[in-house]
Amino acid sequence: MTMKNRFKSFVPYGVILVVLLFLPPVIPRFYTYILTSIFVTALLAMSLNVVVGHGGLFQFHHAAFYGVGAYTFALILTKTSLPIWVGFVAGPVAAAMAGLLVGWFCVRLTRLYFGMLQISLGSLIWAIAFRWYSLTGGDDGIHGVPVPDFVSSSTSAYYFILILLTICLVVMYLILRSPFGMTLQAIRDNPERCEAVGINVRRHQLLGIVIATFFAGVAGVLFVVLERSVFPDLLFWVLSLEIFIMCLLGGWFTFAGPILGAAITVSLRTFVGIYTEYWTLILGVMLILLIFFLPEGVMGFITEKFGARPERVYQER
Amino acid sequence: MGLSRAMILFIVTSGLSFVLGVLRVPNVAHGSLYMIGAFSAFSISKLFGGGPIGFWLALILSPFIVALVSLVSERLLFCHLYQREHLMLLLFTFALMLILGDLVKLTWGAEYRSIMAPDFFRGSVSIFGLSLPRYNLFLLILGPLVAIGLWLFTNKTKIGKIARAAAVDMEMVGAVGINVSWVFAFAFVLGCFLAGLGGALVAPTVSITLGMDHDIIIEAFLIVTIGGLGNMWGAMVGSLIFGLTQSFGVLFWPQFAIVFPYTAVVIVLLWRPRGMLKSVW
Amino acid sequence: MLRIEKIHKSFGNFVAVNGASLTVGKGELVAVIGPNGAGKTTLFNLITGQLKPDRGKVLFNDEDMTKLPTYHICRKGIARSFQIANIFHRLTVFRNVQVSVLSEQGKSNKLFSPAHNIAVEETNRILESVGLLENAENIAGSLSYGDQRILEIAIALGNEPELLILDEPTAGMSPEETAATMALIKTLAETRGLTILFCEHDMDVVFNTAQSIMVMHYGRTIVQAKPEEVKANSQVQEAYLGGENA
Repeated sequence: MTMKNRFKSFVPYGVILVVLLFLPPVIPRFYTYILTSIFVTALLAMSLNVVVGHGGLFQFHHAAFYGVGAYTFALILTKTSLPIWVGFVAGPVAAAMAGLLVGWFCVRLTRLYFGMLQISLGSLIWAIAFRWYSLTGGDDGIHGVPVPDFVSSSTSAYYFILILLTICLVVMYLILRSPFGMTLQAIRDNPERCEAVGINVRRHQLLGIVIATFFAGVAGVLFVVLERSVFPDLLFWVLSLEIFIMCLLGGWFTFAGPILGAAITVSLRTFVGIYTEYWTLILGVMLILLIFFLPEGVMGFITEKFGARPERVYQER
Repeated sequence: MGLSRAMILFIVTSGLSFVLGVLRVPNVAHGSLYMIGAFSAFSISKLFGGGPIGFWLALILSPFIVALVSLVSERLLFCHLYQREHLMLLLFTFALMLILGDLVKLTWGAEYRSIMAPDFFRGSVSIFGLSLPRYNLFLLILGPLVAIGLWLFTNKTKIGKIARAAAVDMEMVGAVGINVSWVFAFAFVLGCFLAGLGGALVAPTVSITLGMDHDIIIEAFLIVTIGGLGNMWGAMVGSLIFGLTQSFGVLFWPQFAIVFPYTAVVIVLLWRPRGMLKSVW
Repeated sequence: MLRIEKIHKSFGNFVAVNGASLTVGKGELVAVIGPNGAGKTTLFNLITGQLKPDRGKVLFNDEDMTKLPTYHICRKGIARSFQIANIFHRLTVFRNVQVSVLSEQGKSNKLFSPAHNIAVEETNRILESVGLLENAENIAGSLSYGDQRILEIAIALGNEPELLILDEPTAGMSPEETAATMALIKTLAETRGLTILFCEHDMDVVFNTAQSIMVMHYGRTIVQAKPEEVKANSQVQEAYLGGENA
C-alpha cells in the first residue's frame, strides 16, 4: 500500500476527529454527555475486539476487567489519599494484572472452555464486589467519586476522554499492524500452523489478553471520570455480552467496526429510551435482524458494498 | 435447604443440558423461560383465587405455556438458523432473552409478585430429627423423579433415543430419514418445558421479579459446565454442588454466601475444565 | 541427524505406532512408505511434537526432543508441511510466509513497528524460490490446490530449517504437478542444504527421489534401506499385497 493510499484511508478519521473537537460549544450538554459515553464504550468495545475479532479468543467476560479498572480507580480516589495520577495508572494496571491471572488459566483451554472458565472467574469477582459492602459499597456501588478539577465539567471530561480515546486507538492500530498483531491474527486463523512455525501460541495469546484488558481498564477509569461512580453492573456478564454484540454489530474483522457498534448501541439506547422503557426489546429485535441479514456487521456490510478496505488491518493492498 | 434449591436448579439445568446436548447450542434465553414459568404460575394461581387448586393448576399449566412460547420462537425464527455457526445461535438466544425479558415486563409490570404454596405444604416435617419444610420435601422428591423420568425418556422411548443419537451425530440421523428439524424443535421445547417447570416450582419460595432470568441463567450455565456439557447426571452433580455450597455459605458467612458456589465452580473448572462427568462434546 | 528409537503411541486400545525406528542422515532425502493406516502421519506428529510418545525417543542432532512442545521443536530446526493444506487461508500469500519468517527471526512479538516493512526481502526470496512471487498479494485461499501445497512448503522454509518434513507433498496433484513439485523439492534440498524426510503413496516419486526408504506396517518399521534393497525385500512385498499403487 503506497504512502498516498494509506494517508487517504486516514482522512475520514481525521475529519471525524476535527468535527468532534469542535462540537461541544455548539451542542447541548446532553449530547456532549452522550458522545462522551460513546467514547468510553467504544474504547471498551475496541479493547474486546483485540482478542475476539483479531485474536479469535472466546473472551466471554471482558467486562470483569473493565470493572476492575473502574473500581480500582474509584477506590484509590475515595479510600486512599494517594495522588490522582496513581489512580489513573493503577486502574489499567490492575485490569491488566487481572487479565494476566485469568488469562493464564484460560489459555490452556480451548475455545468454549476458555470462555466458560472466564465467565466463572469473572462472576466470582462480581460476586465478591457485589457483597463486600464495606469495601466496594456492595450493590450500591460507590458514588460521588472526587474526580480532579480538570475533568469535572462535562466539556472538559469530553475533551479529556476524546484525547485519551484517540491515543489508545492509535496505539491499538500500531499494535495490530505490527508483527505481533499479524501473528495474533494468524493464530486466530490457524493456531496449529503457528505452533508448527515456532510460535508459542499460548504466550502470544496471553500477551494479547493483557493488552486488551489493559485498554479495558483504561475504559473503566474513563467511565468513572465521566460518571463519578461505580457499581457491580460494570462487572456483570450481561455487559460482557453487550460488548460482544457491539463488536458483532460493527463488524469484528475490521479495525474500527466496534466503534461503530458502540456508537449505534449507545445512541439507540439513549434515544429509544426516551420514548419507551422497552429498549431491551428493541435491542433484541435489532440483534435478530442483524443475525438474519447482516452477519458481518454493519461495517463489514459497508466495506463489502463499497469495496473500500481502509480498515482491514491485515490485508495490505 | 441447599438440597431443595439444588433440586430446582437441577430441573432447570437439566433442560438446558438437554438442549445443549442435542442442539449443541447454549440457550441463554433458558432463564427467561424460567422466569415466564414463574410469572405464569403467579397469574394462573391468582386466577383461581390463590388456593390449592390454583397452585396445582399453575404447576401443571405453566410449563406448557412456556413450551408454547418456545415452540413459537423456534418455528418462527430459530429453525432458520440451524445451518449457521454456533456463535450466531448463541447470539440469537441472547436476543431472545432480551425480547422475552421485556415482554414479561410488558405483560406483568415491574413489581414484585409472590404466590403462596397451599396449606398442605405449610409447616414442616420432622425427618431424622431435622425439621424440614414440607415444600422442600416435595422438591426433594420431585427432583429425582424428574431425573428418572428424563433418563427413562432418553433411554427407553423412541423419541428419546433419536434425540440422543442426534446429539452424537446429526447427519446420520438425517440420513436415516428422520426429520432433523423436528427433532431439534422437540428437544428445544422439552428443554424449555423443564425451565418453565422449574420456574413454577420455585415460585412459592422466592419473590418473583424481573431479574430472575439473569440470575438463574448464569448459575445454570456454570452448573452445566462443571457437570459436563449435555450430561444430565452432570447437571445433577453440578446442581448439588452449587446448592450445597450456597447453603453452606449461608450458614457460615451469610454476607458472602453467593461467593461460595462461585468459588466451588472455579475450583472444579480449574481441576477439570471439561466438567466432572463426560460431556457430549 | 534425526534418530527415532523404538517409539510407541497408542490411542486407547488402538496402537498407532508400535516400536518404529528411523534414521535420517544429514543432507539425505528419506522417504517413509507404508499402506494406509500404517502410522506414517502419527510418526510425523510424534517427531514434530503434536503428539507425545508413550515410549521411545526422538533425537535430533543428538538432542532429546521427545518432551518438547511443538514450537520449541520448530525453533531447533525442524519444519513441517501438512497432509491437508494447512495454510492461513485469509491472509495473502506474502503474509503466509512472512509469519513464519518473523517467527524465525524472533520478531513475532514486536509491538510497534509496522509489519509490512519487516522481513520483506527474505519473504520475497522464499516466494521466488518456490515460484509464487507473482502471487504474493493474492489471498491464500484463492490459490489452486497444487499452489497451496507449494505455499505449505514455502511456509515451512520460512523457518530456515535443517530438517524439512513433508507429509504427502504431492497428494491430490496431477502427474505434471507432482513432477514439478518433486523437482522443486530436490532443487531446494540442494540449494539450501536441507535434509528432507517425507512420506508418500506415489511409489514412482519415492523410488525416483529417495536415497533411503523406511517401510512401515501396522506401526512398525519393517526395514530401512536404499531403494533397491527395499524393492527386493520380501516382507515389504508381502505388506503391499492388495494394498498400494506400486
